[in-house]
Amino acid sequence: MSDTEHPYVEWIAREAKRPVELDRGARDRVMAAVRAEGAHRSITPARRRWSKLLEPRVFRLSPALTTLAAAGLVGIGVLAGGLKNWGVRKDGRPLVDTATQSPVPLQTTDTVVKFVFAGPRASTVSLVGDFNGWDTTKTPMARDPRSGTWSVALPLNAGRHVYAFVVDGTTWANDPSAPLAPDDGFGHASSVKNVPGPTL
Amino acid sequence: MIRLTAARLLSSMRRAPHALVVPLVVGASLLLSAPPAAAQDAIFKLDPASRNVVDLVMDSAMAAGLPNRSIFSRALEGIAKKASNRQIVDAVRRRLVSLRTARARLGGVSDDELEAAASVLEAGAKPEELARFRARPQGRTQLEAFTVWADFLARGVPKDEAFSAINKLWQDGADDAIFHSLWNNVQSDILQGLSPGTALQNRIRETPQRATASAGKPPEGP
Repeated sequence: MSDTEHPYVEWIAREAKRPVELDRGARDRVMAAVRAEGAHRSITPARRRWSKLLEPRVFRLSPALTTLAAAGLVGIGVLAGGLKNWGVRKDGRPLVDTATQSPVPLQTTDTVVKFVFAGPRASTVSLVGDFNGWDTTKTPMARDPRSGTWSVALPLNAGRHVYAFVVDGTTWANDPSAPLAPDDGFGHASSVKNVPGPTL
Repeated sequence: MIRLTAARLLSSMRRAPHALVVPLVVGASLLLSAPPAAAQDAIFKLDPASRNVVDLVMDSAMAAGLPNRSIFSRALEGIAKKASNRQIVDAVRRRLVSLRTARARLGGVSDDELEAAASVLEAGAKPEELARFRARPQGRTQLEAFTVWADFLARGVPKDEAFSAINKLWQDGADDAIFHSLWNNVQSDILQGLSPGTALQNRIRETPQRATASAGKPPEGP
C-alpha cells in the first residue's frame, strides 16, 4: 500500500465508524413497511401446512432408537420377502402346480365352516390342515368356558379338505364328527371335510 | 423472529423421536411376529435328499397332469406330524402312484375327486373296484361316496363289504346326503360297540329303499 492512498483509507474508516443519524420516524416507517409486507402475503393454512412439511428438520436419534429403526426396516423386508416368495421354490418354480387344478375355477372364500372340538381339559387346541399348510400355530381355536368346547370358523374353498386338531401342542386328534382320512403312515389320524360348492 | 425459529426447531427435535416411535415399533413388531423363513417354507425342514425326492415326485405329478398340491400337502402333513424323512418320502411316492392309478381308472374327474379316489386306494381298495365309478351322470360327483368308502376302510370294515355297499348305493343313484347319512349311522353304531362289518350290514339293509325313495330330497334326521 502506498503513502498517497493513506488519507483515503483513513477517511473511509472514519466514515464507516461514524454513527448513522436517522430522524425519529425512520424506525416507525421501517416497521410499518415490514408489517404491511407480512399482511400483504397473508399465508393460508394450507400453505402453512405445506411449509411445515417441507421445511428442513434436524432429527436426533439415540443408539437404541437407531437399532430399533434398523430392526424395524429389516422386519419389514423379511415380511415382504417372505410374502413374495411364499409358495415358490428356491429355483423360482411354484411349489404347487396351479395349472393342473380343476378346470372349474375355485371360488375364493366361498363357505365359512365351523370346526368344533370337545376338549374340556385341554389348555390349547389348534386346527391344522391342508388349508393352512399344516401349520400348528396358524389357526388357534377359542374355548367356550361354559361347554368346554373349542371352536373356530374358517372361510374355505369348495372341495375336499383334510385336517386334524392339535391338543396342547403335542397331541393329534381327528374330528369325531367327520369321516376319517385313511392312515397316511404318519401315525396320527386325520379327518375329511367336503365343502359343497360349484366345483362339486 | 430468530428466537421463534429456534424454539420451533427445538420443538421439532423433541417431537422427532415420538414421530419415529410408531413406525419403528410397528416394524420391530413385524420382525418379531413374522414367522422365521424355515416356518414359512416348512418343506425345507426335510433333509436335502428327501426334499429332492419330494420335488421329483411333484414334477412327475405335474408332468402327468395330476394335482401335485395333494403331494405337497402330504409332505407338509408329515412334517407337521414329525414323521421321519423316510415316512414322508414313502407317503408322497404312494400318493403319486395312487393319483396315477385313480386317473387311469376314473378318467377326467376333478382334482378333489381324484384325491378322494387316491385315498380310497391307499385305504386298501382295488383299482378295478374304483373303475366301477367311472361312469357318472352329468352333475353327479363321487366325492362323498369316496370319502365315506375310505372312512369305512379306515375303520376296519371288511374291504369287500365296504365296496359292495358303496357301489350298490352309487348304482342306485344315492346322493351325497344319503352317503353321509350312512356314514353317520355306521360310525355311531361302531362307537356303541358294534363291529364295523356288522354296523355297515345293518345300516345298508335299510338304506336302499331310502336311497331310491329319497334321492334328491333333503336327508332325514339322525
